Amino acid sequence: MNLRVRLSRLALSVSSILAWIIASVLATVVLAAPMAPAMAPDEQVRKVSSEVTAILKSDPNILGNPSKLRELIESKLLPNFNFARMTQLAMGRNWARATPEQQAALTREFQTLLVRTYSGALANFRNNTIEIRPLRVQPTDTDVTVRTQVMQPNGQGIPIDYAMEKLPDGRWQAYDVSVGGVSLVTNYRDEFNAVVRDQGVDALIRQLQSRNK
Amino acid sequence: MTVSLRPTVLVSALAALTLSGCASFRAAAPGDPLEPVNRGIHSFNSTFDHYLFRPIAKGYDAVMPTPVKQGVSNVFQNMADVQSFVNSALQGKAAKAGDDLGRVIINTTLGLGGLFDHASAMGIERGNEDFGQTLGHWGIGPGPYLVLPFLGPSSLRDFGGRLLDSQIDPLGYVSPVKASNALQGLRVVDTRVSLFPFDQLLAQAALDRYTFTRSAYLQRRESLVLDGKRPKE
Repeated sequence: MNLRVRLSRLALSVSSILAWIIASVLATVVLAAPMAPAMAPDEQVRKVSSEVTAILKSDPNILGNPSKLRELIESKLLPNFNFARMTQLAMGRNWARATPEQQAALTREFQTLLVRTYSGALANFRNNTIEIRPLRVQPTDTDVTVRTQVMQPNGQGIPIDYAMEKLPDGRWQAYDVSVGGVSLVTNYRDEFNAVVRDQGVDALIRQLQSRNK
Repeated sequence: MTVSLRPTVLVSALAALTLSGCASFRAAAPGDPLEPVNRGIHSFNSTFDHYLFRPIAKGYDAVMPTPVKQGVSNVFQNMADVQSFVNSALQGKAAKAGDDLGRVIINTTLGLGGLFDHASAMGIERGNEDFGQTLGHWGIGPGPYLVLPFLGPSSLRDFGGRLLDSQIDPLGYVSPVKASNALQGLRVVDTRVSLFPFDQLLAQAALDRYTFTRSAYLQRRESLVLDGKRPKE
């Protein structure tokens, strides 16, 4: 056997090993991404609330600064909520009767209303501490309720529960929040229903818009 | 204050019940057949609150030093714990009744007649039970939603519960009557102050305060009757 043949064989085996390594690395990356152990929903709530609390503590002026507050909410909180689903649930059977444009407008305005209400609540309840009840989640669970307790300075606790669903990528998003047993979605469903029944979908959009001005 | 109001409240509730027969402006929301009357009382209450009640509570909140306000709140809460104990017992909730009784004993002795809330610091939770919840526990539904003059959202069941609760209210037995009324007035102001954080929230969140309040009240009461074990939809 001459040297040329031997060298080419060596090159072949080196390149096949390289190809194998690259392939397995790629496979690991591609397969592992969705299989990476996603954060448990209660852990996710704990992480987000402690981050927000820490930011509010380190920079108390943020509450008087609407643009900074909005930035905090948009970066930390919004990714954890599914506003499209919230709007759909709050609309109930009227959702199907709205055009896609109306649905988009409703979702946008409802999100703005909730974010503004939330900013106001942050200012009022910033001195409270949050306890998150541990939750037993099975890997097959796709819909859970994370229970938390907001302790007021007077010792009274307000239970706040987050109904959360699992996204295809393994993250969790809240689609309803209950405060002291009062569900946000149910409360707005009653309000939305009354307006749509008496005045129609466009009137509801107009009411939300004027409330958000 | 509330004592002298009670007959008025009863009369208007009865009037509301009889009026409902002829008041039919549009399809009534489920659970609220008296909506037209309720809305009238609701707007009266809002005006009363805006011009008189809230300013008084604001004044009290501004003038009184925090430790005094806290002490006043604690004393009234201690009385509410007595009421909660009775109702926990009536619902057969032994653990809750035990906690309520423990709270009352600790706060009345160590807490100097209820001025200090040592029980909360020790981690004993408030039962927060009342007669409306006791009636609900034994299977009585809320009945029609009611808005009571001055007192706000209620239901036929919870209004009945309120009347029963007032029978075991220690302030009802304070004499002379003037002192009893003054203390009850103070209690109402104390409650109003505790609701301040929600004023802005309600103003911001609600499209229609009447509907928003009604839905929140009925859900809240159902949740309290079920002790937070609200069935998922």
